[in-house]
Amino acid sequence: MKIAPILYGERKVYTVSAFNRGVARFLTRLPSVWVEGEVTELRRNEAWATVFLTLKDPRTGACLKVTIPRHSFDALELDLEEGETVHVEGRAELYEARGELGLRATTIERLGLGAHLLALEHLKRKLAAEGLFAPERKGTLPRVPRAVGILTGADAAARGDLVATLGRRFPAAKIVVCETRVQGRGAPAAIISALHRLAAHQEVDVLIVARGGGSFEDLLPFSNEAVVRAVAACPVPVVSAVGHEQDTPLVDLVADARAATPTAAAALVVPDAQELRAGLDASRRRLQLAVHGVAGRERERVGRLGQRLESAPRQLLERRRGAVDHLGARLQSLSPHATLARGYAVVRARGGALREAGRVAPGDPLEIELASGGLTATVDEVCA
Amino acid sequence: MSEVSQGHQRTFEELSRELEEIVARLERGDVGVDEAIALFKRGEELHKACAERLDAAELRLEELSTADQARRA
Repeated sequence: MKIAPILYGERKVYTVSAFNRGVARFLTRLPSVWVEGEVTELRRNEAWATVFLTLKDPRTGACLKVTIPRHSFDALELDLEEGETVHVEGRAELYEARGELGLRATTIERLGLGAHLLALEHLKRKLAAEGLFAPERKGTLPRVPRAVGILTGADAAARGDLVATLGRRFPAAKIVVCETRVQGRGAPAAIISALHRLAAHQEVDVLIVARGGGSFEDLLPFSNEAVVRAVAACPVPVVSAVGHEQDTPLVDLVADARAATPTAAAALVVPDAQELRAGLDASRRRLQLAVHGVAGRERERVGRLGQRLESAPRQLLERRRGAVDHLGARLQSLSPHATLARGYAVVRARGGALREAGRVAPGDPLEIELASGGLTATVDEVCA
Repeated sequence: MSEVSQGHQRTFEELSRELEEIVARLERGDVGVDEAIALFKRGEELHKACAERLDAAELRLEELSTADQARRA
């Protein structure tokens, strides 16, 4: 059927129906494609021939209306829930009555494991290329944290193991637990919010992200790009204890340390108080031994000094006495009395020793000193 | 001892140095008889004083080491 315009002189004018019909026909030329999105507003009614749903792009929030014949939908037996990611195959279609663009689906597939793995591998390569998993990015864990932050789901086992191990190893450790949604829709946003709350806590110096084992899909939030980036940007060191040994969610790669179990995570973040105490005891023993050694050596040294102190003054006195005795002997050898003892005499006149006869005249008094005693005499004659 | 001490308590070293100077002067022999006698007399006093100082020091040392041994016992 030809879509004919109404002519107003030169101007071609189309009715709304005609315009919509034209666009709808044009759209039929587009190929059938696969579209990925999250299921929202799923409406299925036994009375309707068509099932309606909206596909949402989780990144941008962009929406696309999807219609699928009810018999086709039922035949798929998908049991779809809101929030699930699906691949829909179909063609663009215009709902002419409302001028609304939609996708006329022929089939819907729940996003399979293979597709998830592929997306995960792609994301992993991208983040690795950015250097997010590089060893040099990893922070060191504090030796003794003021408080340990625990991010966990309503997972009694993981949380119980953590709290018990932390308490046993280091009873003084403070524990701040933040329970949050860890699987399903909204889990990434909840995890990021909990991470921010714990990191902002005044005393939390290290964080443990703990999640017990689960299916591949259950652990997907821990490979979510926004969650991985939030852990990378976290100012506090993060220990990942997510899933079991064989699972490697991306959060394991970006975390500062990875633990296979909650118990192992607890051992990473706090020291063993008993080991610490034993180490301190050993240090004290070594200190005591060292002090004793030093004291012993000093005692010996002081003892030797004491011996030297005792003998030194005696030696000094002996040397002095020798010198004094020597001086005494020299002095004695110079004694004027020794000269007198040999028969010489000292003759004094007018208070002085007399050396020249001319200094006195007959009749002058003389004093004569002998080795033993003295004489007084008078000059008889002077022989010049 | 007043002549030797000369107003203040002179040290052993001062006394023995003076004694040494006197002996040296007498040995050079460039002094008169009277001065020689005076120097000799002073020398003898100094010698006695030095010997007394050494005796006193030895005695004090003996006392100290005896006291020390008594304390240790």
